Amino acid sequence: MGSGTGKYIALGLIIVMALAIAGLITGAIGAGLTQSEEAKAAGETAEGPFIPKPEVHLPAQVVFPTSDRDHYRDFLEAEKAEKKYGEASLTHDQEELVEEGPYQGSNFIITNTILSSFIASIVLVLLFVLGARKAALVPGRFQNFVEIAIEGLLNFVEAVVGRQHSRLIFPVIATIFLFVVVNAWIGLLPIYPSLGFKAGDAIQIHLLRPAGTDINMPLALALVSFIFVEWLGLKMLGLSYITKFIRIGSLKEGLKALFQMRFLDAFQGLLDFFFVGPLEAFSELVRLISFTFRLFGNMTAGEILVLVSAFLVPFIATVGVYGLELLVGFIQALIFSGLTLVFAAIAITAHHGESHSEQH
Amino acid sequence: MLETLGIHFPSLAIYLVNFLLVLLLLYLFAYKPILRLMDQRAERIRESLDAAEKAREDAASSQEAIQEQITEARREGQRIMDQTREAAERFRTEEMDKARQEAEAFVQRARADIQRERDFALEDVRASFGDLAITAAERVIRRSLDRTAHEELINQVLEEGESLRRG
Repeated sequence: MGSGTGKYIALGLIIVMALAIAGLITGAIGAGLTQSEEAKAAGETAEGPFIPKPEVHLPAQVVFPTSDRDHYRDFLEAEKAEKKYGEASLTHDQEELVEEGPYQGSNFIITNTILSSFIASIVLVLLFVLGARKAALVPGRFQNFVEIAIEGLLNFVEAVVGRQHSRLIFPVIATIFLFVVVNAWIGLLPIYPSLGFKAGDAIQIHLLRPAGTDINMPLALALVSFIFVEWLGLKMLGLSYITKFIRIGSLKEGLKALFQMRFLDAFQGLLDFFFVGPLEAFSELVRLISFTFRLFGNMTAGEILVLVSAFLVPFIATVGVYGLELLVGFIQALIFSGLTLVFAAIAITAHHGESHSEQH
Repeated sequence: MLETLGIHFPSLAIYLVNFLLVLLLLYLFAYKPILRLMDQRAERIRESLDAAEKAREDAASSQEAIQEQITEARREGQRIMDQTREAAERFRTEEMDKARQEAEAFVQRARADIQRERDFALEDVRASFGDLAITAAERVIRRSLDRTAHEELINQVLEEGESLRRG
């Protein structure tokens, strides 16, 4: 038995080694070693025989409707020409295209990221709805899986905000987590980089792209998170929630102190009203930006890393990067939902300023 | 500036709707039923545990009751046996006393009978002895004796006979 397992491990190691060597030779690194002197001098990038140099398009690409897709492709061409030859050498049509931007006006368009987000949503909803459909008191395997996910998230929420409010907060937190993680993981499917619309040899416009790499998706989630937290604060604390930002109590105290010539207290009260309150409000708004760019940056970097690792060392380096990306997707989902949860917990806790002014 | 960052409001709106739709569907068809089910299950488990605890307590208390009954029965049995033994003892002593008394009474009666028979016999002997003495005297002395001397002599003989009877 032991020697049998050892055999399999040895076989696996040999396969991995062979793939690594093949990857090193056929990838950009191997190509670079065998590149001719002239090409090196010309500053050309070495390319392996299988994987062409990846073109990373940061903005989401239009895939539907067809007319908009054509417009988008023409725009890409024009932009490329502009980068290569400078603005002066563009034709009149190309100049117009660059002027108009990638999206023709603000029509209803489906980008590859939106399409991916739809697919991820369908997968997510089907997974959970099917798991919960024939919900029985004694669960089957599939239901068990769904229950573990939901229970884990519920425990996560309960650990932060306590049992009392957990049922109110749970749905939004859980959905944020699941939406982010499914959108991140679905982008690791091999069909993502291989489906698309060709222009010349290479795929110019991909049919699918992980939704997290489109800044609009993290922004939408950040807006949901922001609105949810503010709504929760207003619902739980009523109008006193607003006094966190507009510190009327401190203003009153400050003016009273000013009237009584207690300048230090007056300064403190006025500072609280004019500076700390707006700062609190500002910090809530800044969360929007940090939420958006954290997720967008991580997802985009992951996407680029997969492409580059496949280009540099095909077959083998991507495996490690995929493992890393699985982890990153999970962690980003945890961070997004966890931070929303913590901000919600802060919002539903009566803030210090009010009790402070009541003490006087 | 927003355009340069890649922010596109129609896309943003689509993502928002997309997310809210997912939230709604998951809430209605996954979270709600699963959470309700989990609550039910927790409730069921709690009930079962309570029932098991109660059953355990019942068993313990009934065990105690049975033990008590056994002890009680044993005590009762002991008591009955003691009673019986005591009764038997009493009966035995009573019977023995009775038998002794009877025997004593029997002996008493026998002694009395013997006494009486002896008295009768002595009386008989005395009577016969008096007659015999007179007859003997008459025969010895015949007629010459006077009456008083006669009497005195008889009484003397009788006295001797009386002391004889008493001794």
